[in-house]
Amino acid sequence: MNAPSRLCSRRHFLHANGFGLGSLALATLLQRDGLLANPAKPIEAGGARFDLTPKKAHFPGKAKAMISLFMMGGPSQMDLFDPKPMLTKYDGKNFPGEIKYDNLAQASSKVFGSPWKFHRHGQCGMELSELLPHLGRVADDITLIRSMTSGVSNHGQGLYAMNAGRITPGRPALGSWLTYGLGSETQDLPAYMVLAHPNGLPTFQQEHFTNGWLPALYQGTVVRPSEPRILNLDAPPALAGAPQQRQLGLLKALNEEHLSEHPGELDLQARIASYELAASMQTAAKEALDISSEPKSIRDLYGVDNPVTADYATRCIIARRLVERGVRYVQVLNSGQSWDQHSALIGSLPALCAATDQPTAALVTDLKQRGLLDSTVVHWGGEMGRLPVLQNDAGREKWGRDHNTYGFSMWVAGGGFRGGYVHGETDEWSHKAVIDEVKHYDWHATLLQAFGLDHTQLTYQRNGLAASLTDNQGAKVVEKLLA
Amino acid sequence: MMRLTPVIALMAALSPAYGAETELTFERDVRPIVKAHCTHCHGEEEKPGGGVDLRLRRFMDQVLDSGARVVVPGRPAESELVRIVRSGEMPKKGKPMPEAELAVIEKWIAQGAKTARPEPLTLAPGPLITEEDRAFWAFQPVKRPAVPEDGAGDRLGSPVDAFVRKALREKGLDYAPEADRRTLIRRVTLDLTGLLPEPQEVEAFVADPSPDAYEKLIDRLLDSQAYGERWARHWLDVAGYADSNGFTEADSVRPHAWRYRDYVIRSLNEDKPWDQFIQEQLAGDELAGATHGDYQQAVLDPQRTDQLIATAFLRMAPDGTGEAVDDPKLARNQTIADQLKIVSSSLLGLTVACAQCHDHRYDPISQTDYYRLRAVFDPAYHWEAWRNPAQRLYSLYTPEERARAAEIEKQAQAIEADARALSKKFLDEIFEVEILKLPEPERAPYRQARATAEKDRTPEQKALIKKYPSALATYSLNLYDQKKQDIVDAKMAEATKLRATKPAEGFLMALTEVKGQVPVSKRFNRGDHEQPKEVVTPGELTILTQPGQPELAIAPTPAGSTGRRLAYARWLTSGQHPLTARVLVNRFWLHHFGRGLVSTPGDFGHGGERPSHPELLDWLADEFVRGGWKLKPLHRTLLLSHAYRQSAANPVALREDPENQLYGRFALRRFDAETLRDAILGVTGSLARVAYGPPSGIGRDPQGRVVVGIDKGSITSFKVESGGQADFRRSIYVQARRSQPLTVLDTFDAPSMVPHCEKRNQTTVAPQSLLLMNDTFVLENARRLADRLVAEAPGDPAAQIRRAWDLLYSLPAAESDVARCQAYLAEQEKALAAYHQAQPPAKEAPKGAAKAAAPAPPKPQPDREALASLCQVLLSSNRFLYIE
Repeated sequence: MNAPSRLCSRRHFLHANGFGLGSLALATLLQRDGLLANPAKPIEAGGARFDLTPKKAHFPGKAKAMISLFMMGGPSQMDLFDPKPMLTKYDGKNFPGEIKYDNLAQASSKVFGSPWKFHRHGQCGMELSELLPHLGRVADDITLIRSMTSGVSNHGQGLYAMNAGRITPGRPALGSWLTYGLGSETQDLPAYMVLAHPNGLPTFQQEHFTNGWLPALYQGTVVRPSEPRILNLDAPPALAGAPQQRQLGLLKALNEEHLSEHPGELDLQARIASYELAASMQTAAKEALDISSEPKSIRDLYGVDNPVTADYATRCIIARRLVERGVRYVQVLNSGQSWDQHSALIGSLPALCAATDQPTAALVTDLKQRGLLDSTVVHWGGEMGRLPVLQNDAGREKWGRDHNTYGFSMWVAGGGFRGGYVHGETDEWSHKAVIDEVKHYDWHATLLQAFGLDHTQLTYQRNGLAASLTDNQGAKVVEKLLA
Repeated sequence: MMRLTPVIALMAALSPAYGAETELTFERDVRPIVKAHCTHCHGEEEKPGGGVDLRLRRFMDQVLDSGARVVVPGRPAESELVRIVRSGEMPKKGKPMPEAELAVIEKWIAQGAKTARPEPLTLAPGPLITEEDRAFWAFQPVKRPAVPEDGAGDRLGSPVDAFVRKALREKGLDYAPEADRRTLIRRVTLDLTGLLPEPQEVEAFVADPSPDAYEKLIDRLLDSQAYGERWARHWLDVAGYADSNGFTEADSVRPHAWRYRDYVIRSLNEDKPWDQFIQEQLAGDELAGATHGDYQQAVLDPQRTDQLIATAFLRMAPDGTGEAVDDPKLARNQTIADQLKIVSSSLLGLTVACAQCHDHRYDPISQTDYYRLRAVFDPAYHWEAWRNPAQRLYSLYTPEERARAAEIEKQAQAIEADARALSKKFLDEIFEVEILKLPEPERAPYRQARATAEKDRTPEQKALIKKYPSALATYSLNLYDQKKQDIVDAKMAEATKLRATKPAEGFLMALTEVKGQVPVSKRFNRGDHEQPKEVVTPGELTILTQPGQPELAIAPTPAGSTGRRLAYARWLTSGQHPLTARVLVNRFWLHHFGRGLVSTPGDFGHGGERPSHPELLDWLADEFVRGGWKLKPLHRTLLLSHAYRQSAANPVALREDPENQLYGRFALRRFDAETLRDAILGVTGSLARVAYGPPSGIGRDPQGRVVVGIDKGSITSFKVESGGQADFRRSIYVQARRSQPLTVLDTFDAPSMVPHCEKRNQTTVAPQSLLLMNDTFVLENARRLADRLVAEAPGDPAAQIRRAWDLLYSLPAAESDVARCQAYLAEQEKALAAYHQAQPPAKEAPKGAAKAAAPAPPKPQPDREALASLCQVLLSSNRFLYIE
């Protein structure tokens, strides 16, 4: 399979032409592909049929795809993104204010100054921790938000908030909303792909990529962490090609007949669609997931050949390759809640950063050099942050920090987000957001805006109500985040 | 209903309308808001934050240091509560209070900040359980409702239908017509047995003119072995059944867990009443009169053995304490916490686990309540005197067997001693020959050196031995004389052979107490076992007992255990408990109808969904208890209802109620993972109906898939060999290793047991299609199915196709289907023949293939392969994969 020729896909066509420029060809293409995704049509018996063809956004938006680097556990913002001289000054002393502890053991009120230095990076002079030297090199391309809040203390609720819009379980994940709203630029790969860590899924498992009550078509598809990354891509030799096509043709005919006896059954529809996708995936997924054709310069940029970065580098390259091929939403996951440093922060945080910093920065660099960063949102963040005070005061190597959901950091790059920009501030302790607070639903509203989607209009009819990602929580688009 | 935040949902539930005239009261309207946002710090902690306690209205008259009052009746603007929330200063934790909720508080203050009734004069520390809390539906005793009067002339007599139909009609809907007989027998057979009906069973049912044909069918299915194998799966999900310990990466095997799996299957097949079933699982050791040190009598009696095996329910949680873990104490407490989660979710339908660290945010469950419940189980777990998984196994030897084994061991050891003596004798003889090769003056010192134990030898002696190493003759008899070695080996082999005649020793997993060892249970501050606080006594969650209800009737057992679990189990199954029966019947309903009457089967609390048919739920719960906790009659009640028997097609109901909350159609659903595998094995005729016993093994094949078979893999390569018939057993008999789920099951959403599964997810993703297209499991079974069809209708492709329809779909094939498939076969056969012709002639076996007896490659059979490819299509079709 010749990769470059495959890259000249619809996505590139659209990308090269931009959205909404009035090109006749584009308009025709969009017309053929269908319609606005929403407002979702009420389900009519025999009527509603969902698919993953590209859908037109509500208005022109720069972002076309997203790579979510989700960091379950709660990365420590004052050690990575949010320098606070006061913490250093009060290091080891009692915290003078009031701390909002969460319900965990071993809390203390002793201030824990960051053991790491911060340096300014880029033309914008963004201050980042010495644990993130590579990220510093792309500082001018990222938007650092230092004033995130979700206000819920638990990992689960925090995840639901950051990933699905509300603190309650069972709702569709962000990637499901985006694929529901915009479809996919490829019909050869799943619209929503999930790259799992070799040690397993993060806590709350499938809830990271559930379609909730959206149709099953918008589920995330998990890619295994090692070869074969997707099982069963090889057709048996005798059936490969035309004989398998013949099988699938008969299967589709049988399934369509069956569906006609059960009009409107969304799961039957989704399964029919999944065979078509699976057939294409046999070649497309293999090609997309195989990084052996990547040149040495790219391998070195990401750190593929360094055992410390090898896994994350490989998965970041795969994420880029998927987006290049038209996948709408890619989630790169950690395992467990590895960023949850209740103890042993001084040892484990550098290790986590060492494994992820270079590949992450390389992803931004690489997308940019390919001209894809403008249309691809890269997001780095977890479900919460950490407290300025010490937890587990049982010797320096055991020091940790408890949860903090009243002010934490994350960053975004590309897709119309403003590069070289720091948004919001926490108080002098990095405890609570005090300037330009961004609530989780504000972030979601802004993100949808970048994709050309109005968060109040991207809705799904459910039991007579229009349900949405931001779900009437008073979300506001944070215009300052967008270029 | 949309999923609302619990507080809003609660408000909606308690107070349907907030009209202008509504008089708001603290208890009904304001307290749920304050409870969700404020009292966690202001009243429920040991010291209320800022000295402000918001648990009672009268506490709100407090004047603060600032001079302001928390609440000034009639004047919301002057009330500090309103000001501080409006300004955003409060609540400090959690979500901001929504405007709508603050508006309720303001209105309440404006109306005079009234209470519904005088408030208590004294209040224990901690959260308060109010009448409003108690009014929540799930905490009220089950009350048998009257069966609704159905419309005149209604042909449906089932009480279930009276309830369901009433709700449907209120929405202007009605049932779908009854499903046809073929659909019905396929549905109910899959539902009750997890297997497809045999074609002759379908035909017999279709042809049965008797009015009770369907009833007879249900009875036959309920009497089958397969019924227990199917319905055990549902309970094993909830119990978190696994054949491995989990928790650590090692995920070591639990080699004896299967006895519990068998116990569950047998119990269901015997229709063991669920009160007994639950009592055995929670306190079987106490029923059997066994303790850790004194169980030998119990295992002599089958019933008491069963009771002991049943307690493995309380040993299902992941348990890493047999492995090297970073923090063993934490690991022990984690196992207990996981187990409590399993117990509370399965039997109480409540998310009690949150109360491990703090009072439950939404339900009236205090942290103290959590540790009271835990104290019921503490004597058996006893984290400070912990027993790891290996230390919780009990031998099934009878005294005779044990004596016989000891006797055999004694004899074997005697034989080994003889063999060693013989070896020594041979070596000594050799030595006497060898020493003659030494110069005379060195012989005596050498003899002495040899006789000295190695560690006591002087440097001179060591040097001397080193000088003449071959004269030593104290080991390696074979190097001197292989024949003599063979004689010794033969003797040793006798011992091994004798040992093999010992009676096989089985073990069971159980939870027991150590007689006389009763830990003091304490509340752990913030859930941390390193911070024990006040002592707690064992008991039920306060909200689940009625005011004035006596404490659990705990009486030590004659065997010497505390009797706590037995007392608790008896209370749960007394018929008076508000949740146990409701939670159970809701699960039974869920498995038949695809959706629970409460759609969150593990959470009946405020965070869960409200019942769609509360009266039906109570009627079923009461019916179940009145019927002696027997499940089979309840199955009949549910399966005989029209709600169950109706067709899956009802366009109006689909449009008006797409999630089928009102049951206006049968909810079409995909086979679950085990049904898929078992049904495929069933239609190919290869399913091995070997019931019970140790599980079939699993391993990774070279492609990285986990498959059934004998694991022959190493660290560097994956390999699995055929396990023969064992590879074809039902999925419930395949080893369930937490870290290595069988690929075919995993791909189709079999749950990971961390620690258990309250409700299965069902996904529809491309890897499932890829598995059906390309996985060896499917390809091999498609070939087996083709072989079966050819064997059953040799030389008649049309008959083969018809037979496939009968086997897979329980339907006669339409002539158009037959014609279409025959056309397909013709084309496919041509293509496959062309494929084989294009292949280079078979050369020698490829590298790495088994050398021994390399069979000649099978002669291509394009016709058979074409048929197999058709079988694969049919096995992948929605008509096969879905229950409708």
